[in-house]
Amino acid sequence: MIAQSVIDEVLGEALSTGGDFAEVFVEDRYTNRIVLQSGNVENSLSGRDFGVGIRVFRNFFSAYAYTTDASREGLLKAAKNAAAAISGAAVIQPQPLVKESFTSTHQIQISPSLVDKARKVSVMKNAYAIAKGFHEAIQQVSVFYLDEEQNVLIANSEGRYMEDKRTRSRMMIQSIAADGNKMESGFYGPGAHKGFEFIEGLNLEHYAKEASRIAVTMLSAQPSPSGKFPVIIDNEFGGVIFHEACGHGLEATSVAKNNSAFSGRLGEKVASDLVTYIDDGTIPNEWGSIQVDDEGEPTKRNVLIENGILKGYLIDKLNARRMGMNPTGSARRQSYRFAPTSRMTNTFIAPGKSRPEDIIANTEYGIYAKYMGGGSVDPATADFNFAVMEAYLVKNGKLDTPIKGATLIGNGPKTIQLVDMVGNNLAHGAGMCGSLSGSIPVNVGQPMLRVSEMTVGGTKGAE
Amino acid sequence: MEIFDFQKQLFALGEQQGFVDMELYYEHREKFGCRIFEGEVDNYESSEVAGISFRGLYNGKMGYAFTEKISEDSMDYLLENAKDNAGIIDDEEGEEIFAGSESYRDLSFYAGPLDQVTISEIMQFGLEVEKKILAFDKRVKTTNYFMLSRSSEERQLINSKGLQLFDKQNYFGMYVSVVVEDAGQVKTGSYECITKDFHSLNADEIAEKAAKEALDQLGSRSISNKNYPVILRNDMAATMLQTFSQVFSAENVQKGRSRLKDRIGTKIGVSALQINDDPFLPEGIFSRTFDGEGVAAKELQVVKDGQLLSLLHNRKTAKKAQTESTGHAYKSSYKDSISVSPSNFYIGAGEKSLDEMISMIHVGVLITDLTGLHSGANSVSGQFSLAAKGFYIVDGKVRSAVNQMTIAGDFFELINAIEVIGNDLEFVSPSMAPGYFGSPSLLVSNLSVTVD
Repeated sequence: MIAQSVIDEVLGEALSTGGDFAEVFVEDRYTNRIVLQSGNVENSLSGRDFGVGIRVFRNFFSAYAYTTDASREGLLKAAKNAAAAISGAAVIQPQPLVKESFTSTHQIQISPSLVDKARKVSVMKNAYAIAKGFHEAIQQVSVFYLDEEQNVLIANSEGRYMEDKRTRSRMMIQSIAADGNKMESGFYGPGAHKGFEFIEGLNLEHYAKEASRIAVTMLSAQPSPSGKFPVIIDNEFGGVIFHEACGHGLEATSVAKNNSAFSGRLGEKVASDLVTYIDDGTIPNEWGSIQVDDEGEPTKRNVLIENGILKGYLIDKLNARRMGMNPTGSARRQSYRFAPTSRMTNTFIAPGKSRPEDIIANTEYGIYAKYMGGGSVDPATADFNFAVMEAYLVKNGKLDTPIKGATLIGNGPKTIQLVDMVGNNLAHGAGMCGSLSGSIPVNVGQPMLRVSEMTVGGTKGAE
Repeated sequence: MEIFDFQKQLFALGEQQGFVDMELYYEHREKFGCRIFEGEVDNYESSEVAGISFRGLYNGKMGYAFTEKISEDSMDYLLENAKDNAGIIDDEEGEEIFAGSESYRDLSFYAGPLDQVTISEIMQFGLEVEKKILAFDKRVKTTNYFMLSRSSEERQLINSKGLQLFDKQNYFGMYVSVVVEDAGQVKTGSYECITKDFHSLNADEIAEKAAKEALDQLGSRSISNKNYPVILRNDMAATMLQTFSQVFSAENVQKGRSRLKDRIGTKIGVSALQINDDPFLPEGIFSRTFDGEGVAAKELQVVKDGQLLSLLHNRKTAKKAQTESTGHAYKSSYKDSISVSPSNFYIGAGEKSLDEMISMIHVGVLITDLTGLHSGANSVSGQFSLAAKGFYIVDGKVRSAVNQMTIAGDFFELINAIEVIGNDLEFVSPSMAPGYFGSPSLLVSNLSVTVD
């Protein structure tokens, strides 16, 4: 993408004021986005992102400059800008670059750029027809299609030099059901680190119907009660709860500066014995998977919590310095416009032994959250919140009426102690995670599990 | 490559290939940012990015493509992809390239003096604020995230119908989150601002506000879960307006994603409610003289005395509704297609101060922070259930902070349940939804409150 001799020069320039590490990240990304509304293609957009980010460290200090001007002059100017944040004489020279090549675990069968747009649209129209035809109350269905091929080049002053290609495809279906003045929506958005084979292989009957079924079900839902209840969270995207409650608190971004409830607690019991929490960027072709992270470090399977004991964190290069630990292949960024930092990939609670039906049968009164919306967390306090998209009351071990407008709040380290049943049906769900280094694709996952007590905020008021 | 040279060559090539009307949208942004941590600048960022988006009418359909590589070798990519994209569009509305409005306001929203502020001044200011925050009270533990930045952006719109528009914007922004600890209880509070006038910032005031926002949360307690009268402090009322701003988009109404369908001319809120959109606000972060399609910006009364007067339109939605565009076409960047969004959008101020509003409450809750807006609020259904921070009010006085809670309700019910509108109109930094949103504090007769 850029001549090696220019990269050499840029790394040299970046280190010229006393930096002890420099890195160049080049990104050339092709994207296609198509929006289908009421069965018609309303929008189709293609584009190419192209830019370069240059990073310099001195001890714990980090400077970053990025530009879309990839000419030699443009890059040297950006390197100068980053280097200007440090004032001194050069202390090291960049090591000679040695190109590393590797075979990706994440093989792509059909490159999206080789597929006709009409073929993409035909899958979208099928999804539309299934979702729209599900029920007469479905008033509107939107189908979003996305594919991208991100080519990256990563080189640093330690001699690392490699290229990688990340291909991702995603389809999102949003159904809106209406009844009089009431409107409810349902959503499903499967995605993978795959090419067009993923889109064509999607079980549309399942995804499109589910999006519509959620919207229709919510039309007859009762306002959620408020208070403290046992909460059963189903598998797949349900894992968003521990993504918020624990995952962010295990990222070096907050751990290194001692701002996480999990800082300095390695080896301690931080969760219920039933909880094993893993971040694994190596799972073949999953939405959150990458071969190498955005610092060029191979991704790994990182066991964060094992049977309740804190085992590790997610660590990027800069925070590794602060923490005196090794990077874990967790450095990620949305694009060249962001310096990378420690982030999640595919994070999940490992399966337990309970059968899902037994978890429900064992719950006298509580809430069953079938599908989650998103959530957020304050890493310093670990107070989290997240929205429930589809939920039911559980009475006497059986599912009761659907409820709407429930938000679950709590404190991460406390909630993870209260997990009292873990199912055997692990599954993963695709999402986008927003944080310091931008918005990145991640999977969240878990089997069905139960938290013995959580605060549920609903519109109905106290029971 | 110079943008005008690029445009001329691209349009010439486009014409050869069968495009009838064409438009180029160009954006150039420069930004400096830094982060402060424990007495040092620990992160520094500088950037310069540019990109263009091309759209053109091909066989009667509009095709779009963008690139950040502004060079001759991108032209084929743009034209090929725009053609492909036009080829699959089913849209029957007939999108057009716009020849221009009759006149445009001659205003500039670029603050020259902000450009003169040096990077070192910005860093020094950040360090000074952090020092004052840490010294403010011994219970202040640290700042866990402190960012300062200055951005400037220019955009140009050039089309084959002879329209050529240019504007430039800049602003300074800062965000600091403060962590405090007392008797084992950890709380955070944040301060955020965005301005064109760097020299108006006062380090003492900011440090005090930021530290107090966190300190005041200490000693929080639980209160019973029930419906309370609630005051949304000005910044949180503005955040709520931002979260539901998309219900006023004609695009969402036409697509059945907003409950404001068929509500023009009817009452949607209390009589005291005024909602305006003012693209010419001198301090406005979304101020502009033309919108994303090149239509001249103008002021718009959206809600007057509780009555819905107008939705926000771009040319496409206006055509469908057989009305005029209100100048609200929006493009978040060259990477985006055209949608609808407000500029500087706010609830008009009333007469009471926040203290007076508090004194009117027998038992109630004051909300000073809301989170989880991207997930806990649904602008289609109007429902929200949001994580919140705030205070318990008893007998007209703030008694204590409350543990993390949720407030839940319905946006359309909320604007009908406003009892008092404050005199303290304030705008909040843009996030989530596009636009710059402002509101005074609002006293709402009742919302469901659940406490952790």
